[in-house]
Amino acid sequence: MDNIANLMHGFSVALTTHHVLLMMAGVLLGVLVGVLPGLGAPNGVSLLLPLTFSMDPVSAIILLTSLYWGALFGGSTTSILFNIPGEPSSVATTFDGHPMAKQGKATEALSFAFLSAGFGAMAGVILITLLSGWVAKFALRFSSPEYFAVYFMTFASFIGLGGASPFKTVVSMAIGFALATIGMDSVSGNVRLTFEFDVLLAGVSFLIAVIGLFGIGELLLTMEEGLKFEGVAAKVRIGDVLRTAAKLPRYWLALLRSSLIGIWMGITPGGPTAASFMSYAMAKRSSRQPAKFGKGEPEGVIAPETADHAAGSAAMLPMLALGIPGSATAAVMMGGLMIWGLNPGPTLFTDRPDFVWGLIASMYLGNVVAVVVVLATVPLFASILRIPFSIIGPVIVVICFIGAFTAASKEFDIWLALVFGLVGYLFKKLDYPIAPLVLAMVIGDKAEDAFRQSMIFSQGSLSIFWSNPLVSTLMAIGLALLIMPVAGSVARRLRGVKAASTV
Amino acid sequence: MKTIAISAAFAGALTLGGVGVAQAWEPTKPIEFVVTSGAGGGTDNFARIIQSIITKHKFTEQPIVVVNKGGGSGAEGYVYGKSAKGDPNRVIFGTNNAYLLPYVAKLGYKFSDLTPVAALALDEFLLWVKGDAPYADAKAYIEAVKAKPMGFKMGGSQSKDTDQTLTSMIQDATGVKWIYVPFQGGSAAAVQLAGGHIDSNTNNPNENIGQWKAGQVKPLCVFSPVRLAKGEPVFEGKGWGDIPTCKEAGLPLETFQMPRTVWLPADVPADAVAYYAGLLEKVSKTPEWQEFVTRTAQTGKFMKGKELADFVAKDEAANKKVFENEGWVAK
Amino acid sequence: MITRFWAEIGAAVLTLVFGLVIVKGSLEFGIGWDTSGPQPGAFPFYAGALIALASLGTIAVTLGQRVAGKVSLAEAFLDAERGKRVLAFLLPLVAFVVLSATLGMYVATILYLVFAMRFQGGYGWLQSLGTAFVTAAFFYFALEKFFQIGLLKGPIEPLIGL
Repeated sequence: MDNIANLMHGFSVALTTHHVLLMMAGVLLGVLVGVLPGLGAPNGVSLLLPLTFSMDPVSAIILLTSLYWGALFGGSTTSILFNIPGEPSSVATTFDGHPMAKQGKATEALSFAFLSAGFGAMAGVILITLLSGWVAKFALRFSSPEYFAVYFMTFASFIGLGGASPFKTVVSMAIGFALATIGMDSVSGNVRLTFEFDVLLAGVSFLIAVIGLFGIGELLLTMEEGLKFEGVAAKVRIGDVLRTAAKLPRYWLALLRSSLIGIWMGITPGGPTAASFMSYAMAKRSSRQPAKFGKGEPEGVIAPETADHAAGSAAMLPMLALGIPGSATAAVMMGGLMIWGLNPGPTLFTDRPDFVWGLIASMYLGNVVAVVVVLATVPLFASILRIPFSIIGPVIVVICFIGAFTAASKEFDIWLALVFGLVGYLFKKLDYPIAPLVLAMVIGDKAEDAFRQSMIFSQGSLSIFWSNPLVSTLMAIGLALLIMPVAGSVARRLRGVKAASTV
Repeated sequence: MKTIAISAAFAGALTLGGVGVAQAWEPTKPIEFVVTSGAGGGTDNFARIIQSIITKHKFTEQPIVVVNKGGGSGAEGYVYGKSAKGDPNRVIFGTNNAYLLPYVAKLGYKFSDLTPVAALALDEFLLWVKGDAPYADAKAYIEAVKAKPMGFKMGGSQSKDTDQTLTSMIQDATGVKWIYVPFQGGSAAAVQLAGGHIDSNTNNPNENIGQWKAGQVKPLCVFSPVRLAKGEPVFEGKGWGDIPTCKEAGLPLETFQMPRTVWLPADVPADAVAYYAGLLEKVSKTPEWQEFVTRTAQTGKFMKGKELADFVAKDEAANKKVFENEGWVAK
Repeated sequence: MITRFWAEIGAAVLTLVFGLVIVKGSLEFGIGWDTSGPQPGAFPFYAGALIALASLGTIAVTLGQRVAGKVSLAEAFLDAERGKRVLAFLLPLVAFVVLSATLGMYVATILYLVFAMRFQGGYGWLQSLGTAFVTAAFFYFALEKFFQIGLLKGPIEPLIGL
């Protein structure tokens, strides 16, 4: 168990007062950028990067990763309180988190979110500790066909979940796909669907769509129904946080399943966003009361949060061991590694064990620090809901639009957010599901790229998706996930007929 | 150590000299650095290291704000620069994509919307194969590819960008033909090569060094007229300086390099261009810059004015030829 | 009053048009399948076509339900009272976006918050102005000073030296 010895050494590097203070500073800054929609961990990390040039690499990476954890937590906060996902990976948290907040259970929802997120992150770090060598080798086996298969699996698990009209589901998902294709197409080097508008060159940002569809759309609906969040009078006590913590072990199965999904998506290229969607879908599918999902079911908060953070921390491994940035934040951090004179890659573990194991140890400590810090902020955040809606409503509007602007510093984006807001309102009123649109926007273009790269590899033959055991297994799981709900509903119908006939 | 001290002193002397000569134009409000790549990209590192050097040495009193505008392969940043016509506070960082992008795609700017300021370095390209590949040198690999047209896969960044242009030039020079697979960027192409999913790539030194250190990939030759600076050994005692140039290795393509460039919008005062060129020249003489260039195995080369214009004209012509041959030129 | 029927049809027509625009835009790049797989336009083409077809599907289903006399379709999508509430929120919001683009985001924030609190929420001048200026100042220091991200500015900021 070399790794354990290395880890202990890592703790001796990471566990100094200086580093723990850096962690707290990083987490608090991260919560701030995570809470502001539009600003995200990548902004925070690139802001701090110049500061770190004069630090030693271990301190620098501790500061940056702590900021990353903080941002992940902060992103969930706004998802739950205002239905505005601060980070792409916290979209799935809105599905049940926001209904809980509306029912006056904001404290519970936030506590569940933070605690399960902490659990997921720990699971991810433990994996890195124990299996780093093996995972690094495994990840090298992934090429475009395997990437496509992973995206396909995510889609397959999410399809057929909602009870909405199939036509509306298709419209929503296809709009997401279409929006994702706008802008530069890296496979052909063409600029697609910009209709010669310069503002569309960079494509339609996912963040803008989410701010509009979820944030502004939700505000319009709330306004239509009259000015209030229900249960705002509920008192917020720190005891509620502890009571919620005591309830968490009941959800051990969800925690475990979501951690596994998250870790899997973290080390394969799925990433945190795909992980959270898939975990939510699997929780709903395996639940005895799937109808409760979407209406404030705690498991609907726990599942995506656990997977999101498990994937977020597990994704650090491919970054360090292979130099694949799993996310925008990881890309910035990798830039930082190079500026500090480190080369991410297979030899980083042997060349700079102090750095790598210090970082891994700091991931344990950083997440503990992060959970403690964010749990302490729960009463503060939950009490925001007690501010009368006629004040907080307009303030949220301001936050949404400022967030939309800061995402890319483009004036066009605030107009786009307005349009998405109207579309979100209309879609919700008419029972169009929004989640498929969001999911298609996030992984649609990646799936398309992977598919077309695979076709270049095979010179146009689809058989490449069955060309080795790994990709075949992934595709088979995907197909099974796709067929299961159909088969399930047929079975239910048969059983229903039988039940009816016996009466 | 001594050279660093000397160059630092030299930089210091230049700074003093700058005070003596009356500067006709100085920035009076915050300077905006527009980066034509996403956060973490090569251009991003280029701009941020310059930002950190200017800030550290207090080369200007004004704060510097970095903005990433990497959409459309960087076109977003140039369009953003174009919209600030005549504004000398918006400095745009890029590569040769500034003058090459308008050829291959319909974009909202022309090269004439930019004013050249300076280039600070040339990023090098190498031919890499998998670490355990049976080719001892570039010649052996090219022979193998020649024997089996469309049987080998070359990976690189997105289509019609530098990597594919270079691939096309090699194909023209040697008569071979690869399947070109475009990935999201150099780091993805590096990992795909290490995993054996492609047969070769033409990555910059910085993009493949991690894999080379581990022996997962190996360089065959560098597309540069002279060998790279010696540097420390990377793998099995070999360092950057031990890699033969492609011409030495029998691959008749002498040079392919990518300049790291800085631009201003059109119609800015000539004094402002001179101010930034002077500022960047000071940056290029600092030990921090030298260190950055060495570590990323780029070739430090400061160009401005006529020298830069000549370089651009030559580079543009060479690339344009490839674009026309391949039919990439956008109508 | 808009009935649910017309809202359904209207939304479906909108998505239909969007789908057709995407189809039109993708035709430029070739939608076939060549030796290296689907051409660049293929993926957006099929996405656009799916949007258009599924929109037609929604229209057909809605018309069918109308013929069959489904009650919920004749119900109000938005009655006068609810419509008024939405507009009372939406119009200032649109004004905020327009002001942001013309006068800058800080000025727009202050005007919008003061309007919403003083004239719509019924709060006193002191509270309204206080909230508005504190919010704007918070964003100024957090974004402009700390994160070094400039917001949209209008003609007023330079006058007071910001």
